[in-house]
Amino acid sequence: MAINLSLWSLKAGDHCEILGYDDALAEKYKIRLMEFGFHPGESVICLQSPSFGAPKVYQVSNTVFSLDDEVAAHVAVRLSGASE
Amino acid sequence: MSKIILIGSPNSGKSLLFNRLTGLSQKVANFPGITVDVGSGKLQALPDKTLIDFPGTYSLQAISAEEEVAVDYFERALEDPDVEQVLCVIDATRLEKSLLFTLQVIRDCERNSKKITVLANMMDVLENHDLTLDVEGMSAALHTRVIPISARSGKGIDEVISELSATACQVREPRAHLVDTPDAILRGEAHKLAHRFGPEGDVLIRTQNRLDNFFLHSLTGGVSFFLIMYLLFQSIFTWAAPVMDAVEGSLAWMADALVPLLGNQVVKDFTSDALFSGIGAFLVFVPQIFVLTFVIGLLEDSGYMARAALICHKPLRLFGLTGKSFIPMLSGVACAIPAIYAARAIDSPRKRVLTYIAIPLMPCSARLPVYTLLIAAFIPAQTALGGLVGLQGLAMFGIYFFGMMTGLLVTGLISRTSEDHHNDLPFVLELPPYRLPGLKPIVRNAWNRSKHFVTKAGKIIFTVTVVIWLLGYFPNYGADLGQSWLGHLGHFIEPVFSPLGLDWRYGVAIFTSFAAREVFVGTLGTIFGIEGADENMVPLVEHIQGSDLALGSGLALLVFFAISLQCVSTLAILAKESASRSLTLKMFVGYFLLAYTAAVVVYQVTGLLVG
Ligand SMILES: Nc1nc2c(ncn2[C@@H]2O[C@H](COP(=O)(O)OP(=O)(O)O)[C@@H](O)[C@H]2O)c(=O)[nH]1
Ligand SMILES: [Mg+2]
Repeated sequence: MAINLSLWSLKAGDHCEILGYDDALAEKYKIRLMEFGFHPGESVICLQSPSFGAPKVYQVSNTVFSLDDEVAAHVAVRLSGASE
Repeated sequence: MSKIILIGSPNSGKSLLFNRLTGLSQKVANFPGITVDVGSGKLQALPDKTLIDFPGTYSLQAISAEEEVAVDYFERALEDPDVEQVLCVIDATRLEKSLLFTLQVIRDCERNSKKITVLANMMDVLENHDLTLDVEGMSAALHTRVIPISARSGKGIDEVISELSATACQVREPRAHLVDTPDAILRGEAHKLAHRFGPEGDVLIRTQNRLDNFFLHSLTGGVSFFLIMYLLFQSIFTWAAPVMDAVEGSLAWMADALVPLLGNQVVKDFTSDALFSGIGAFLVFVPQIFVLTFVIGLLEDSGYMARAALICHKPLRLFGLTGKSFIPMLSGVACAIPAIYAARAIDSPRKRVLTYIAIPLMPCSARLPVYTLLIAAFIPAQTALGGLVGLQGLAMFGIYFFGMMTGLLVTGLISRTSEDHHNDLPFVLELPPYRLPGLKPIVRNAWNRSKHFVTKAGKIIFTVTVVIWLLGYFPNYGADLGQSWLGHLGHFIEPVFSPLGLDWRYGVAIFTSFAAREVFVGTLGTIFGIEGADENMVPLVEHIQGSDLALGSGLALLVFFAISLQCVSTLAILAKESASRSLTLKMFVGYFLLAYTAAVVVYQVTGLLVG
């Protein structure tokens, strides 16, 4: 899948919905991401987007993960309105 | 003897529960990482049953070689007829990450007709925030008993014990019917269950995020990072240094009291110089290992270390490392041994090895006396830039920086020239909540590490010290080191060190400093006939300045000590922790050759420049 907007491009406070993963991401990481709850269709909130390219912090259901661009740039998302 | 398996996803509180049930002390830390260690211990309440602590993974579908080992191990254990039942710990505040794992464990237990009980841990946290978990509903959905517990407060532990003491023979029929369910379906199922039963609202996450706004902010986060690191090093110097002095002092006192009571001169010399200095050589490290492990334990358990890993990830990635290498490398600036232990928390085996490779070049405190001696002898005590910077301080900073950079460059080079995707994992770190650290497990862990060091490395350091003493003492009973076996050895290896402009005496000191780097100073003192050089360096400094040793040789020695892996304790612990003698040997030889080459270059270039 070609990625227009990736998880990595989110800013702190952005809400989004996961669309899928691109092919550059190794299968085993896709599986691990799904195990963590990053399923297609799932909503994710970007909690922190620290400066200097540090890994970003995402909330998915009730868990918080930090991902760096090696992973997050391969996850396609669609922005959704803030749900609160 | 019947066995009970304890399993759970990382950071769900498994170690704390294990300790509570067995009275033992596995390391507890608020930092998600897996270890392939398997601990086991008798249940305190039911001494005829053994509890086996399995490494935590997020899933039974392994994605690295190391996870595979852990998963295989678990699946083989399920086939063991002695294994009576399985306890699966989940973090009730973060169901999503635990439920898939739980379903997989339930499935595998059904396949092997083992009884399983799910323990929903961290209930104290939920209660403090007036949150609830639908335990009944979850039990029904999982077709498995779920017991709400708190490993920290002890709530629900009695119920766990009575569940465990209940006759194990009532192995239930598989009811969840998961026996043939593939992982992909379980993933979806876990997801649904988490949404259905997970605690409502995200108070917990909002609290955590408010603190993250501070600790990950570009300004406040940066400032607090440096402040915390500063305090960490202060604590080593203010807490460990006096204890180290006290250890040395009391050993000296004991030696003084004991030695005159001995008859024979050889026995006297052996006792004071080999026995006591052999014991001293490794005991002085213990306070440092203890304090460092303790303070890092506090930082880990508070949840801060995961943030520090995040902050340092980007710069370390340049060198093939990960943010998770930060804690070990930081410890390495004090001592490589706690650093090697700390590397356990790195989940990617490849990055763990790279971290092992970087650690010995972090400027540990045993190098400090060597640097101090050489800088005092060769760098003039002058200031530059109108008194703004002292040359000696600058040289000290320079050699520290040189060591760290060399370490990073070496790992960077190795990571770029070798590819090993099978053993690598990308940076994905669960950010644990901030917590008030529980003191007791941290103290116990620091104690265990110190003990491990004394038993594992102590013997080796002691042996090396004694052997070096024997070589230096015989055959002429300590009369003249130059004529001893050690002296002969020094003369024999002199050609190795003459390209650095060093004679046999420095060769001997380098050789003996293999026991521990700072021994270099004491040995030189002995050779030059200067008593107590390790306490007061001034006479030794003056002696070296008065000799015709070239500036280039001094600089070459500095560079040599910055790089060379001159430390038996590090080698011993490295071989144990990495479970690889070949890695240890390669690192030792590699760093020696690199140190030597760099030292020769420095000597030759300085010779050309200074003339
Ligand atoms: N509040 C609270 N904290 C807990 C509880 N159980 C464990 N912890 C904390 O959770 C963190 C992870 O615990 P640990 O036993 O190392 O988890 P493991 O990775 O599953 O072995 C540590 O900071 C523990 O102090 C609990 O029941 N309540
Ligand atoms: Mg643990």
